[in-house]
Amino acid sequence: MTSIRIVNLEKKFGELVALSNINLDIKPGEFFTLLGPSGCGKTTLLRTIAGFYKQDKGDIYLGDELVNNIPAYKRNTGMVFQNYAVFPHMTVYENVAYGLKVRRLPKKEIAERVKAALKNVHLTGYEDRTPDKLSGGQQQRVGLARAMAIEPRVLLFDEPLSNLDAKLRVEMREEIRSVQKKLGITAIYVTHDQEEALVISDRIAVVNFGKIQQVGEPWEIYKNPKNLFVATFVGKINTEDVTLEDPLAGGLRKAAFRGVTFLVPAAGTEGKSEATLAFRPEDIQETKDLSSSNKVVGQVESVSFLGSTARVMLKVEGTTIVFDRHCPREEDIPAVGETLQVSIPPSACLLFDKQSGERLGAGGER
Amino acid sequence: MTLGKRRLDIWTFVTLLGFAIVIVFLIYPLFDVFKYSFMDKETGQFSFSNWKEFFSRAYYLRAFGHSMLVAVLTTFFSMVLGIPLAFFTSRYKIHGTNLLNTLSVLALLSPTFIGAYSWITMLGKQGFLRLFFSSIGIRLPEIYGPFGIVLSDSLQYYPFISLMLAGSLNTIDRSLEEASENLGSRSLGTFFKITLPLVMPALTGGALIVFMMSLSNFGTPMVIGGNYLVLSTLAYNMYTSEVAETPGMASTVSIVLMLCASVVIILQNWASSRRKYSSMLVNRPIQKRLAKGKSFAAHFVCYLIVALSTLPLLVIVFYSFRNTNGPVFTRGFGLESYKQIFFDIPKTVINSFVYSFIAVILISIIGTLLGFVIARSKGVSVKVLDQLLAIPYIVPGTVLGIGFIIAFNRKPIYLAGTATIIIMAYFIRRLPYSVRSAASILKQIDPALEEAGVNLGSPPGRTFRTITLPLMKSGIVSGAIMSWVTSMNELSASILLYVGKTMTMPIKIYISVVDGYFGTASAMSTILLVVTGVSMFVVNKYFNRGSETFIS
Repeated sequence: MTSIRIVNLEKKFGELVALSNINLDIKPGEFFTLLGPSGCGKTTLLRTIAGFYKQDKGDIYLGDELVNNIPAYKRNTGMVFQNYAVFPHMTVYENVAYGLKVRRLPKKEIAERVKAALKNVHLTGYEDRTPDKLSGGQQQRVGLARAMAIEPRVLLFDEPLSNLDAKLRVEMREEIRSVQKKLGITAIYVTHDQEEALVISDRIAVVNFGKIQQVGEPWEIYKNPKNLFVATFVGKINTEDVTLEDPLAGGLRKAAFRGVTFLVPAAGTEGKSEATLAFRPEDIQETKDLSSSNKVVGQVESVSFLGSTARVMLKVEGTTIVFDRHCPREEDIPAVGETLQVSIPPSACLLFDKQSGERLGAGGER
Repeated sequence: MTLGKRRLDIWTFVTLLGFAIVIVFLIYPLFDVFKYSFMDKETGQFSFSNWKEFFSRAYYLRAFGHSMLVAVLTTFFSMVLGIPLAFFTSRYKIHGTNLLNTLSVLALLSPTFIGAYSWITMLGKQGFLRLFFSSIGIRLPEIYGPFGIVLSDSLQYYPFISLMLAGSLNTIDRSLEEASENLGSRSLGTFFKITLPLVMPALTGGALIVFMMSLSNFGTPMVIGGNYLVLSTLAYNMYTSEVAETPGMASTVSIVLMLCASVVIILQNWASSRRKYSSMLVNRPIQKRLAKGKSFAAHFVCYLIVALSTLPLLVIVFYSFRNTNGPVFTRGFGLESYKQIFFDIPKTVINSFVYSFIAVILISIIGTLLGFVIARSKGVSVKVLDQLLAIPYIVPGTVLGIGFIIAFNRKPIYLAGTATIIIMAYFIRRLPYSVRSAASILKQIDPALEEAGVNLGSPPGRTFRTITLPLMKSGIVSGAIMSWVTSMNELSASILLYVGKTMTMPIKIYISVVDGYFGTASAMSTILLVVTGVSMFVVNKYFNRGSETFIS
């Protein structure tokens, strides 16, 4: 098991700064995900770790070894590629054996290791097939077996599932996760799919504009986003600019949400008169209580049925908010035009600085 | 994987080698051509006298006009032949489409002068077709001259149109045409508004290639042109008549020919960059079944076109088995003509094979290495090299031959009369095709494959050997076979460079035709045709490549 340490990493392509001030400490055996939109630098970071790019500044340590000047082919990292990169002129066996032959292992050991790797990815019996006879999912299993067979210090995944169909994607991500845990190899996983990241990772680094926005466990990223980018990129969230009034007792403060008075946490809002308010669709509650605070009334604009819930677009006070309603029975699905009264508990209200987008309040400091 | 920037590695060496080749075998000889065109014949001083002469004498201007007329007419008739063939075979169910393609490519790849010579045997003064037609009261036009050139050029070059157009028609997603019909357009309207605009780039591209080939063709006008001089034959004539003096007029005519060719290439680049459509090919177009009458008509048209272009080849093969007595065909059939070749002039046959073989080895190795550098390196010097390597596209063989003979007839590089000069002419004429094809094969190989190799612990050299090279192999070999065919059939440069002992088959065929030894010419042409046919077969069979391979 190898830890990975990245210190003050910077990478430029010409004038374009692809990565700046990257600092990461990845623990041995951890499943670590780099999550971000396309072009954010996550793949660049992964490829720099693999040695395909050379950083302009900063250090990369695999375990205790500084690998800055180690060429890619000596880094002993196992990469799984987005488009599989299975060698088309070799059989499944030859693909998996490739890295072992390079290492001049005895034939017998190669055979054993290939067998074990193929077993791990459930491809036993496919040894003599050529890649053109395999489905996308099977090809990616070959890619995974090939990367594991060399017993790398770290497994690097470059959006390995983005070319597979939805059902297979879910299956494969479970498998990747279970095989990684079984072998205990540290893994870095790049994806733009936030749902995938939440499911598969021990920890996630959200990346945007070549910078790390937040590092944390999945629930932390989701529930306690450090800035507005993380909040909006991971999961669905309602946002609205509000004006803040004088602080009240009990750590709360009044905010004007389109004329409706809300109670929001006061922490971190000292001296500010404006902020961006954000709350998740599933945190909205329906209420019959006319006196409850943070209450808005609206008309159902449209409904999308998602299975266990219905996603309701609710028109309130001249804007539209998204609200997820639990729907065990057909009659729970609201009708378009229906009037609903909902409230957002103050504890579910997240506040962000209107200019910088940084989270206000202690929540972000965990 | 990008190539290392700082290291003085093998790729730096390859780049330098590329520059050396371009400078010695292209720029140096072409600069000489340029220089002599601005040199006064008597005084050896800088002067415009050659250019004044070119533009003031009808003799020269007429050749320019002839070249243009022949190229335009050839392009037109190639389209007349190629468009229906492409359209019918790609849109309707035509039996034997593969056979049609194979035969038309065979005609395309056969040496240009064979077709011309064959038409002479059919439509010459004593040609059997002419005699037949005059016996039923039809007087055919004189074969020597523009009619013969355009006839044999069109029947040779139309596959450029038909294959490129069919390739394009076959990659139009069916749903585009269906969308048009769904939106209410009739099928004729769909053809003009959707299909035609989409295949237009392929059509103009094919047409410009035909124009270019016809413009720089030397063999056909030489054999069948008679007194009708075009630029390439004029340059050759000027050169052979100027032997004693400096090749001033030959150089001037060469430059004019090159300028014309450059204009065509520029037009072609402009046309292909202007309209480039990319669309997903999900649903391949289907070939409709035609009603009986229409189907018969479509088959008839397709087979007639291909039969016309195959006819000259068949006639040649036929004549090669006729018995001869010197220049005269006698009764009966036999292998006399072949015996003659192998007993009297085996050297010529051996020369052709040996020179082409050496050239192909050089072309393949150096072309692949240069292709790799061009595909993978982003340096400015490599970009410049890439541009320089395009020069042979605009240099007709005749011009290159004249350049070589001027430049390598003196120190520091004296090659006149050697086999090397002919091999280098083959080499440099075909090198750019090989470089481009290697580069484009490489561009189709996902860089992630090489990265995967490196990531698995294989150093770059080993990765190239175990991953990249095996993936390029079939492309390299089929490219090499194409170079082999073109080298075997090369005439326009080598005819200026040969001496008695370095004679090759195409040159011997030409001389035999001029001297009237049709038996020898037919037998040798048949050998070249067999070599061409076998090469094509190998490419098709073992490398599983379609007819498109032959036109790239």
